[in-house]
Amino acid sequence: MMRFLLTRLGLTALMLAGLVAITFVISNVAPADPAALAAGPDATRDMVETVRKEYGLDRPLPVQFVRYVGDLAAGNLGRSVATGHTVGEDLARFFPATFELVTVSMTLAVLLGVPLGMLAAVRRNSWLDHVTRVVAVSGIALPAFWAGLLLQLLFAVQLGWLPTSGRLEVGTPPPPAITNMYLVDSLLAGQLGTFWEALGHAVLPAIVLAFPCLASIIRVNRAEMIEVLGSDYVLAARAHGVSRARVVGVLALRNAMLPTLALIGLRYGWMLGGTVLVETVFDWPGIGLYAVSSAIAADFKPIMGVTLVVGINFMLANLVVDAAYARLDPRLRTAAP
Amino acid sequence: MTRDIATQQGDMRMARLTGWTMVLAAVAALSVTGPATAFERENGHAVLVFSGGQAVPVLDPHVRYDWSTRMMQQSVYDALAKYVDNPPRVIPWLAQSWDVSPDNTQWTFHLVANARFHDGTPLDAAAVKFSYQRALKLNKGVAWMLKDHLDADGIDVIDARTVRFRLKHPYPAFISFVPWWYIVNPKQVLAHQEGDDLGEKWLTGAEAGSGPFRVKRWDPNAVMELEAVADYWKGWPMPTDKRLAGVIYRIIREPAARKAALQRGEIDIATELTPDDYDQLKTVKGLVVPDYPGMTTFDVKMNNQHGPTADLNFRKALAYAFDYDAMIQIHNGAAAPLTSPFPTPLTYHIDVPGRPTHDVAKAKAFLAKTKWANGGVELEYIYVQGLEEERRVGLAMLNALQPLNIKVNLLAAPWTTMVARGAKPETTSDLCAVYVTPVSTDPDVVAMQYHPSAEGQFWGMHHYNDPKVTQLIERARIEPDEAKRREEYAEIQRDIMADQPEIFGVMPNRRWAMHDYVKGFVYSPVRLTGEVDFYPMWIDAK
Repeated sequence: MMRFLLTRLGLTALMLAGLVAITFVISNVAPADPAALAAGPDATRDMVETVRKEYGLDRPLPVQFVRYVGDLAAGNLGRSVATGHTVGEDLARFFPATFELVTVSMTLAVLLGVPLGMLAAVRRNSWLDHVTRVVAVSGIALPAFWAGLLLQLLFAVQLGWLPTSGRLEVGTPPPPAITNMYLVDSLLAGQLGTFWEALGHAVLPAIVLAFPCLASIIRVNRAEMIEVLGSDYVLAARAHGVSRARVVGVLALRNAMLPTLALIGLRYGWMLGGTVLVETVFDWPGIGLYAVSSAIAADFKPIMGVTLVVGINFMLANLVVDAAYARLDPRLRTAAP
Repeated sequence: MTRDIATQQGDMRMARLTGWTMVLAAVAALSVTGPATAFERENGHAVLVFSGGQAVPVLDPHVRYDWSTRMMQQSVYDALAKYVDNPPRVIPWLAQSWDVSPDNTQWTFHLVANARFHDGTPLDAAAVKFSYQRALKLNKGVAWMLKDHLDADGIDVIDARTVRFRLKHPYPAFISFVPWWYIVNPKQVLAHQEGDDLGEKWLTGAEAGSGPFRVKRWDPNAVMELEAVADYWKGWPMPTDKRLAGVIYRIIREPAARKAALQRGEIDIATELTPDDYDQLKTVKGLVVPDYPGMTTFDVKMNNQHGPTADLNFRKALAYAFDYDAMIQIHNGAAAPLTSPFPTPLTYHIDVPGRPTHDVAKAKAFLAKTKWANGGVELEYIYVQGLEEERRVGLAMLNALQPLNIKVNLLAAPWTTMVARGAKPETTSDLCAVYVTPVSTDPDVVAMQYHPSAEGQFWGMHHYNDPKVTQLIERARIEPDEAKRREEYAEIQRDIMADQPEIFGVMPNRRWAMHDYVKGFVYSPVRLTGEVDFYPMWIDAK
């Protein structure tokens, strides 16, 4: 197990190095000048040079790359030309927001997706199954941006049940910052009112973000359940008098969950990098928005920072899933990693 | 022991039903945040909520400015003078009066006696000197306005309430930039200095000002809350009970979401909506859409040094082929035609006689004088990705040039790419759609866009360079005699129009959408895009 983990960690480090190099090249190939954009449209050439020197952008590219990698090794992600803060500070502010949203989203997707997939499998070809399959296809086909705007119009504007955007109401101060995740911090501070408000604000974006993931979970779970329910040991258990609920909910589900777990793990990492559209529509200040505004300002250090964060998370998720798989499925433990 | 299948199905059904009921109950419970009240209140005073899409990453008044940033800076800082009204005029603010020496190189400002920073420190001439020197030393943001005309050691403190600026040469435009040079508190800035950065890091997210508001809560990407300074040294123009408790600038990036928030009452005033949105909101009860002529110019810059557009007759052909009415219609009628290279509210603006109109016959006549008498050439029209008006102007261009057998290839690009490409004549497109907002009312700001120093700036995408006009511009900018200056700028406008470096388009109107209980809104075209002056505003609470 140890050897397996160490090998995977080594591979992950190599992949990250490749990621950094590729992103660096791509960011600097675009014909845009981050110093000019940060200095402002009215800046004269010497003013732009001032900014350029300040951020070390006047050095040749290979020198910049070497300096960047050196800084990375020391834990310094550089400074954003557009915001003036260090990328580390910006990420510390934005990442928890995305993490919170993605966690709520994933929770929703799992809590709804697994039972629905299960029920659809059990009641194959019933009306429930058909409805679930429509939901599943819509989740993958409907664009998040459009669905988000429509839901916002319906629930926020027409019905007034949920707020339009943001993490909290304008007049509400955020809870004392410990993790920067409002749901966690408000509970830690005992501010229940703030907690409910933050949760209410998270509902719509979480639903929109969860939809494609929900769709995948339903489909995979349904397919796996159907396969497992057809196996011999299930028939044997029923014959022995084990209750239907236990057979489906415990014995079959446990075996069907493996691919679903893998999917959940991978989607989790994927979601962290794919929140841009939802964050834009609902003004959720997370790393997706940060990455996009940095891209528009041709500011490559934050882009690299975000890429690294998302990349690390994705690879960690992969790692956890592989380890979990090995743990849950004894057949994999003895196989070569 | 084995239970009846029907009972089990019944159990499942019950479980499902319970599950759904719980979900619905949860949603209902979460709608504890029902529709928001019309406006926030605090201690009996209303809080104004403003929304736009642009963040304010840097609040430091000597480092950066754009419409959202300056809106915040104007609220927490003061300058020696201030821009108000339409047509814009400069009124005394921190300085109660000023005079110019006979040789027009020395400006002496007399400060008011009661100005104070938020921490109680009196605002004196030393603070003014410190602020101007800081701006010049940092060499960012507003520095470009004065750095060619004023040295850091050209500022003298005569006494606590008098400060003198010794310019390097006469520069009548000086006073027109003074309202944008805010005064910071030297005591606070130096106390928070890191190394010798003059407090640059600290002032990014904090303020050291004297203005009518102070920062209460600062999240530059989401919500910025300002609270009113009850004992503001200049006082407030409205009765005390009507004064705002504060202002909140809430960032909502998507125009559709911003419009939704306005309609829902979550925000009181919104900007940067689409022309169609404004037209629709005008008809909604309880909402008003103030509509004002703007000072921003929208032109199609032509490449004066490369390609077919380098030929003056070719440019004139395009200028006469274009349908100028289409440009106004594309802005839904909310735009005024340009009658000169200068926008109308600019000082010394004239309606240039003989400017091009939509005349296909004339266009063909001009084209006949070029190498492409029968057309057969393709031009590239580049515009900012996502700006619908610019795209439609491109389509209008395509239609307009069809009779001349000239093709137009529309290219959408991010602004960064457009600016990068537009920096050199070889890489600039043939036609570039550009909005430019002048930063002051003095004609020098716009005239300099046609000076060779405009090379590399986004307004210089035409790469226009005429030695005679260049000389005129350099002369006019330091001309102390008003009558002479007026005539010089008139000649500059006529000459530029004759050279047709671009297709002069329109000045789009500036519009906001707000609830009818928002009062005290004062418009000044010299403010950028959605920028609003919060000081005179209040809410009529019924």
